[in-house]
Amino acid sequence: MIDPGQAIATDLPAPAFEGDARRPAQSYWNESWERLRANRIGIVCGSLIVVLALIAIAAPLFTQFLTHVEPSQLDLDNTFKPPGGAHLLGTDELGRDTLTRLIYGGRVTLGVAFLTIALSLTLGTGVGLLAGYYGRWIDDLLMRFVDVVLAFPAIFLFILMAILFRPTPITLAAVIASVGWGGVARLVRGEVLSVKERDFILATRSIGARDVRLIVRHLLPNVLPVLIVAATLGVGQIILIEAALDFLGLGIQPPTASWGNMLTNSQSYFFHSTWLVYFPGITIFVTVLAANLFGNAVRDAFDPRLK
Amino acid sequence: MATTLLEVQDLRTVFATKNGNVKAVDGVSFHLDAGETLGIVGESGCGKSVTAMSVIGLQRPGRIVGGRVLFMGRDLTKASETEMREIRGQEIAMIFQDPMTSLNPVFRTGWQVGEPLRLHRGVDGIRALAGAVAMLGKVGISSPAERAKSYPHQFSGGMRQRAMIAMGLTTTPKVLIADEPTTALDVTIQAQILDLLRQVNREFGTATILITHNLGVVAGMCERVMVMYAGKVVESGPTTDVFAHPKHPYTWSLLRSIPRLDAERHEALKPIEGLPPNLIDLPKGCAFHPRCPFKIEKCSRDTPVLNRVGATQLAACWVTQAGTELKGA
Repeated sequence: MIDPGQAIATDLPAPAFEGDARRPAQSYWNESWERLRANRIGIVCGSLIVVLALIAIAAPLFTQFLTHVEPSQLDLDNTFKPPGGAHLLGTDELGRDTLTRLIYGGRVTLGVAFLTIALSLTLGTGVGLLAGYYGRWIDDLLMRFVDVVLAFPAIFLFILMAILFRPTPITLAAVIASVGWGGVARLVRGEVLSVKERDFILATRSIGARDVRLIVRHLLPNVLPVLIVAATLGVGQIILIEAALDFLGLGIQPPTASWGNMLTNSQSYFFHSTWLVYFPGITIFVTVLAANLFGNAVRDAFDPRLK
Repeated sequence: MATTLLEVQDLRTVFATKNGNVKAVDGVSFHLDAGETLGIVGESGCGKSVTAMSVIGLQRPGRIVGGRVLFMGRDLTKASETEMREIRGQEIAMIFQDPMTSLNPVFRTGWQVGEPLRLHRGVDGIRALAGAVAMLGKVGISSPAERAKSYPHQFSGGMRQRAMIAMGLTTTPKVLIADEPTTALDVTIQAQILDLLRQVNREFGTATILITHNLGVVAGMCERVMVMYAGKVVESGPTTDVFAHPKHPYTWSLLRSIPRLDAERHEALKPIEGLPPNLIDLPKGCAFHPRCPFKIEKCSRDTPVLNRVGATQLAACWVTQAGTELKGA
């Protein structure tokens, strides 16, 4: 609304087409970041994920100075200790410290999640960019392959891989990513199809840019927003998949701790040592919830289609 | 006699569709001399833009099926993709209709305006930016050093078109193809951009091809004009002659359809009746004959070719080639 007092007091504005050169350059990234920062729930959840990741990275420090035990260190004199005292979150059937195992389990679980995201984004983005940009038979070939990948019953692949190899965090991430990249490829392809029809792509071609330059310098930055959103929303999903695989014994094998296989162990003792179920369960629940809420916040801030 | 920079001979570009081949450009010939401004006018879909795109080899998914595009003696239709990239943005620059979408939204304007310099002159980012800033200043953007840091969405439509022109000019090309450069802008900005194009033409000696459907723009800007209809050139000649004595009924109808301020209030506008023909299935004979008020029997039988009519003009019309004047209410 126009404030009459102000309208009289100010001089005529400068010619409109000049714009205001003093206004700081607001990039898409700055604006998105501002929007994200304004979302309090998103920031709290994002910070929680970061804190969990830092704890996982610094796990040896915590065990050395806080819990004073190793994750696989047995203490058969102190089995099934309830939370409190020397063992803050209690011990399991072999006297291993629950907190220590949670911290080390976070290393595995979060590590697998981030590695999976990195792998599936890299592959999916590459395939999506090529299929979307070149179109025609390249598109047909690549996207039919994606259809095959997405039609493959993932659980059989997981079982097969668990039989053939002893799952390590790296192989587990590779296996989950090998079914996860298809969705990313579709997403990126769809975005490329719309972006490449915009005039600036034609304009860039008209100044003599090569395909590689068009794809990497001009298309990729324009699909980055959807990638960021896909990545953050994917973290929660992958943590759940990983936990489920561990729980079923198809993922990380004991004695290496992961949030999923801690649950497997504890189900036998649920009635007399409930904390063995509660702590890994709550950790998974809170982490996935935070990842999803943060993902939603990132989507609200970054997704150009929501504007 | 000025040297001929660009000579297009019998250019044919088709688009393959499910329903058949669309002959978007059907035997177009024209030439462009150094330093001149050539106007190409016609309705939407008559092949103006495809002609321009074919010149720089960006007609995809269309295919050039015939003719030659001679740029300083070299046939561009036979040039390799690598050679074409050297031509594009270095020798021949192009600016597009919609400045709102012609700049990449994720990069600072200065970075983009300097891109041809980095691509073709191999200069580093800092010097490309300096070149971009200098050129932004020349195209009339105030405080160019600050504006170069802005993103495209912070520019108005007119400023973006200025930026596009600056981007085209950084490498001082010999030919600038402006494809409807003012169509998306409002009238006051249109005048500024046209002024700028005229100034560019004078200062840099850049030969300009101005594609437009606005006859007023052509009258003010171009020495010569070429009128296209259904993928063919139907008339060409010096702008003043073509406008004063059109030798093709299509040009005549176009000129007559412009609303006039001095017309009587009750006088109805005079549109060209009918629709442009289907480019897959052109009418036999002259493509314009179903809409032509002057048509004679021969028009629906034989296709007219472009021939000299009058002292300075070329027209593809049986009626005027037979010496008949185009007159009527």
